[in-house]
Amino acid sequence: MNSLLEQFISEARDFLQGIGEKLMELENDPGNAEMMTELFRFVHTLKGNSGLFEFPEMTRVLHAGEDLMDAVRHGKVDFSKELADRLLDAMDYVGMLCDDIDANGGIDAKRAADSARLAESLRQLILSEAVAGASELPEEAAITGKDISEDKPIHFACISEAERMAAYRRACGGDTLHWLDYSPSEECFFQGDDPFFQARGTPDLMGVNITARQPFSALEELDAYRCILDFQILTSAPREELDEYFRYMPDQICIVPVSPLFLALPQGDPNGGPVYEDFVVEALGHLASGRMADLRQAARSLIELSSPELWLSSALRWLLLVIELEPQNRSALVMLIESLRDLKPPQWAKHQAHTSVNELSQTSQTRELASSVQESTISSEEVKALTELVAVQRKILLLPIEAGWQLGRLKAVSTTIAGCLRASGDLASLPGLAASTEMALDEATAKPLLEWLDTKYQGTQAPAAAEVKTVKAEIKIQAPTGLLEAQMSHPTVATRPTSDTEGESKFGRRSEDATTSPKSLKVDQAKIDRLMNLIGEMVVSKNALPYLAGRAENVFGVRELSREIKTQYAVINRIAEEMQDAIMQVRMMPVSFVFQRFPRLVRDTSRKLGKEVNLVLEGEETEADKNIIESLGDPLVHIVRNSLDHGFEQPEVRRALGKPVAGTLTIRASQESDRVVIEISDDGKGIDPVAIKQKAYEKGLIDEASMERLSDQEAVNLVFASGFSTMEVVSDLSGRGVGMDVVKTAVEKVNGTVVLESTKGKGTRIRLSLPLSMAVTNVMIVEFDGQNFGIPMDNVVETVRIPRSAIRTIKKSMATVLRGRIVPLKSINSLLALDAEPKANAEDELAVLVVRTGDESVGLLVDDFRETIDIILKPMAGVLAGLSAYSGSALMGDGSVLMILNVKEIL
Amino acid sequence: MKRILIVDDAATVRMYHRNILETAGYAVEEAVNGIEALEKSLQQSFDLFVVDINMPKLDGYGFLRELRSQDVAQAPAIMVSTEAESNDHIRAYAAGANVYMVKPVKPDQLLINVKLLIGEACL
Repeated sequence: MNSLLEQFISEARDFLQGIGEKLMELENDPGNAEMMTELFRFVHTLKGNSGLFEFPEMTRVLHAGEDLMDAVRHGKVDFSKELADRLLDAMDYVGMLCDDIDANGGIDAKRAADSARLAESLRQLILSEAVAGASELPEEAAITGKDISEDKPIHFACISEAERMAAYRRACGGDTLHWLDYSPSEECFFQGDDPFFQARGTPDLMGVNITARQPFSALEELDAYRCILDFQILTSAPREELDEYFRYMPDQICIVPVSPLFLALPQGDPNGGPVYEDFVVEALGHLASGRMADLRQAARSLIELSSPELWLSSALRWLLLVIELEPQNRSALVMLIESLRDLKPPQWAKHQAHTSVNELSQTSQTRELASSVQESTISSEEVKALTELVAVQRKILLLPIEAGWQLGRLKAVSTTIAGCLRASGDLASLPGLAASTEMALDEATAKPLLEWLDTKYQGTQAPAAAEVKTVKAEIKIQAPTGLLEAQMSHPTVATRPTSDTEGESKFGRRSEDATTSPKSLKVDQAKIDRLMNLIGEMVVSKNALPYLAGRAENVFGVRELSREIKTQYAVINRIAEEMQDAIMQVRMMPVSFVFQRFPRLVRDTSRKLGKEVNLVLEGEETEADKNIIESLGDPLVHIVRNSLDHGFEQPEVRRALGKPVAGTLTIRASQESDRVVIEISDDGKGIDPVAIKQKAYEKGLIDEASMERLSDQEAVNLVFASGFSTMEVVSDLSGRGVGMDVVKTAVEKVNGTVVLESTKGKGTRIRLSLPLSMAVTNVMIVEFDGQNFGIPMDNVVETVRIPRSAIRTIKKSMATVLRGRIVPLKSINSLLALDAEPKANAEDELAVLVVRTGDESVGLLVDDFRETIDIILKPMAGVLAGLSAYSGSALMGDGSVLMILNVKEIL
Repeated sequence: MKRILIVDDAATVRMYHRNILETAGYAVEEAVNGIEALEKSLQQSFDLFVVDINMPKLDGYGFLRELRSQDVAQAPAIMVSTEAESNDHIRAYAAGANVYMVKPVKPDQLLINVKLLIGEACL
C-alpha cells in the first residue's frame, strides 16, 4: 500500500470516529448549529479525500451522506434518531471498506450493491422529508426544448446556458456550430470503442449532454458491458473536421448544422407567469428608436432585481448577449423581448436565420487573446488555461469593492497576470502592467488594471460583468464568521489586526522564529517496539558491570578500578532507567482509546433492548501501556453488554420500583500506585446469590453441601465459573455461551484481577485492576536443586523460614500454621518433578515462599531465596511456547538465562 | 526554489498536493487551517497558496480575506473545493483567490496553473 493510501485510511478512521461522536452529541443537542457544521465538515472532507482514489463505493455513500447532512444543516430535513441511525450505519459501512482496503489494498467489487443501497437509503431521507421543496423541476429543460424546431426537435436546453452562450459567441466570431447526436452501439465496448472518451474528445467541444436510451435496470441485473447511453454534443468545429473525427462510426452519428440563435433558449423558473408587460413595451420602444444603450440599461436593471434562476433572467441574459454581439439583428431582439410576454422560447425556426451572423464581428476577443499568446511557445492546453486565467482575473477585477482587502486582491491579481505574462514569454508588457497596478493601488479601484487588460487583449469579456452582478446579492447573504465580520468593519487596511480574537494575537510576530512544528507524531508501533527491545538489551548488558566490578576486585585484585566501575555503573543505571521510563511513556495511551466506543455501544444496545441507560465515563485521561489498554477492550465490552442485558431492568419495572426510569452505567478509570483500576458499576437489579446458587447447582457446578455453605460473596463469584449463564433465554447480545469466565481469563492474562460486588436490587460493581505496564517484570530469584528460577513478585506474598518441625502432614499433604492460618505447603521440586529433597539451612529451617493464586495462599518449599530484580520478560518461542510451567525467560547480567515460573500453572 | 503553501485540513489532500508539487520541484509548506496558514504566511514568504475552502477555525475564504487585508506582497492563490456547482467560485474570487479548481484536482491541470501563476517559462 502506498503511503498516500495509508495516510488516507488512518485519517479516514479518525474522521469516522469524529462523525460517530458528533452524531451522538447532536442527538442530545439537535439544535447545536456549530456541531452540525463540524459534522458536515467531517463528512465533506472525508468524501473529498476518498475522491482522490478509485473507491466509487466509498465515495458514493459519503456523497449521499454529505448531501443529507447539507440538507439537515440548511433545515430542509429534520435531524432525527432514524437519520442518525442511518448515517451511523453508513459510516460503519465506510469503516468496513477501510478495513477492506487495509487488508486487501482495494474494495471487493461485490460491495457495490451495498453501497448503492446505502446511498439510496440516505437519499431517500432527503427526498421523503423535503417533499415540500419539490417545486424545482429539473426536467423542465427537456420540455422547453421541445418546440424550437418543428421538423427536427433538438433539445438544446440539455446543454447548459453558459455553454450555449459560449458557443453563440464563437458563432458570432465566425465559427460554424454543429449539433451531434451520437448513439454508440450497444456492443461498442467489445469493438474497442470508448464512447465517453470519443465524445469528450470532439474537436472544439462546447457542451455535451449524456442521456440513457432506456431506464437503467436494477443494479443486480445491470449489464455494465452494454452501452445504452446517447450523447448530445455541441461543437464549433468545421464539418470536415467532425466527419474526420467520427469517420469510424458514421452509422452512430448524426451531424446537424445549427444556426446560432437557436441556442438562445431562455429557461428557468417562470415565477408564476408573465408579468413583464411594462418592460416589454419599454424595451420595444428603445429598440424601435435605436436607443441601444437605454435598452441595455433597462435589461441590466431588471436582471439586478431578479433572481438568476428565473426564466426572465435567463431571457435577459440572452438579450444582453445578442445586443452585444448582433446589435443590428433587430428581428432577433424583438423576438427575445416578445418572448417575455408569454414566457415561451422564441420560435427561431420562423425567424429568417440567414442573418448576417457570419459576416459580423470578426474580432472576437477569445481569438484575439489566443493569437496574441500563440506567438510565444506554449502548448495549446496551456493557452487554454492562460485564457481562462486572464478571464478569471478580469472577473475578479469586476467584483464589488471590498474595503478591507481590496488592495491585497488587486496586488494578487497583478501578480497573477505578471506570472501569466512571464509564462507566455511576454516580458515586454510587464512594465505597463506594473504602472497600471501602481495606479490602481493609488486609487484603490480596479479601473486602471481593467483598462490595461482590455487594451492588452482588445475586447471585452462581457458576460463576466453580468454574471458578477447577478451573484453579488448571494455573496452578501452568506454570512461570514464572527471573526471576519469584525475584520470587515475595519475599513482601513489592518496592518495590526485586533488582538482580542483568539489566534490573531500572534500575527504581529513575523520574524524568522522557528516555524511552528506539529505537536504530535504518528509513529509506527514497530519502531517503538524496537526501541523497547533495545532498551531491554541495554538494561541487561548494564547489569554486567557489577559482575565486572566483582571480577576486578576478586580475581585481579584492583579494588580502585572496581570502585570506579561501580560509580560508572550507577550513572549508566540511572540513565538506562530514565530511558526505559521515557520509552514506556511513549507507549502509554489514555483509556479513552477503549472508552470511546462505549457511548455508541450503550446507545445502540440499550435501544435494541428498549431500556434507557445513561452512560457516565470518568477518568478517561488515565494512562496505561498500549498492550494493557488494548487487552482491556474485549473484557470491557463484555461486561458492559452483560450489564445492559442482565443488569438493568425494563423502564416500567424501574418505575414500579421507584428507581429513576433511566439507569446509570458508570465506567471509571483511575490509577492506584502502579496499577490502573477500571470500575464498571450499574444501578440495576444486582445479582441474587440464591438464584446463582440454584443455577450453579442445576448446572452441576456445585454440590448440595456447598450450596448451604457458600457465602453470598462466594456465590456471586460463581458467575466467573466457566459455562455459567443465569439468563433463562440466551439473548443475541451477551449470551453466546461465554460468560464472565472469558473476562476473567482475559484480564488475568495480563496479570490483572477482577472483583465483583453486587447488592440485590441496588446494582453491581465490577472492578478490574491491571498493571500499568507489562514491559518490565519484577521477579524474585529462588534457588532449588542447584538452579535459579524467577517468580514474579506479583505472586509473592512473603518469604519465611520455618523449622522442619512446624510442618504438619494432613492427609498426605503438607501444611503449616502461619499467624493462625493454615497454609498448604508444596515442594517445588516435586511440582517440577525434580528428584531432590528441599535443603534446610544450618538451623534445620526450610525456606518457604508464600505465593498467592487467586484468593488462595500456598507455601512453596525452596532451597534458598536470592535478590529481586527487574527483568524484561521474553515469552517462550517456538516449541518451548508449549511449556506452560514457564511464562518466559530473561537474560541476566552475567549472560545466564533465568527461567520465570508461571506459578498459577504449576500449582 | 519557488515556495508554495498548501492549506487544507485533510492530511490526505495535503499529501496528495505535496506529492504533485514536490515532484515538479517546488518547495512545499503545509498548514492545517486558516489560522495556521496566516501565521506561516506572515513569518515566511510564499510564491503561491493552494487553499481548501472548508476548514475548522478559519476557512479558506477567511484566510484569503485576512491575507489580502495585510499590507504585504500578495502571492496568487488557487482555491480548491469539492463543489463543482454553486457559486463558490465567485465567493472564492471575491475573497481573493485567483484560480478556482474542483477536487480531485488533476496533477497536470494543477501544474499548468501553478506554472502560469508563478510565471515560470513554460516548455
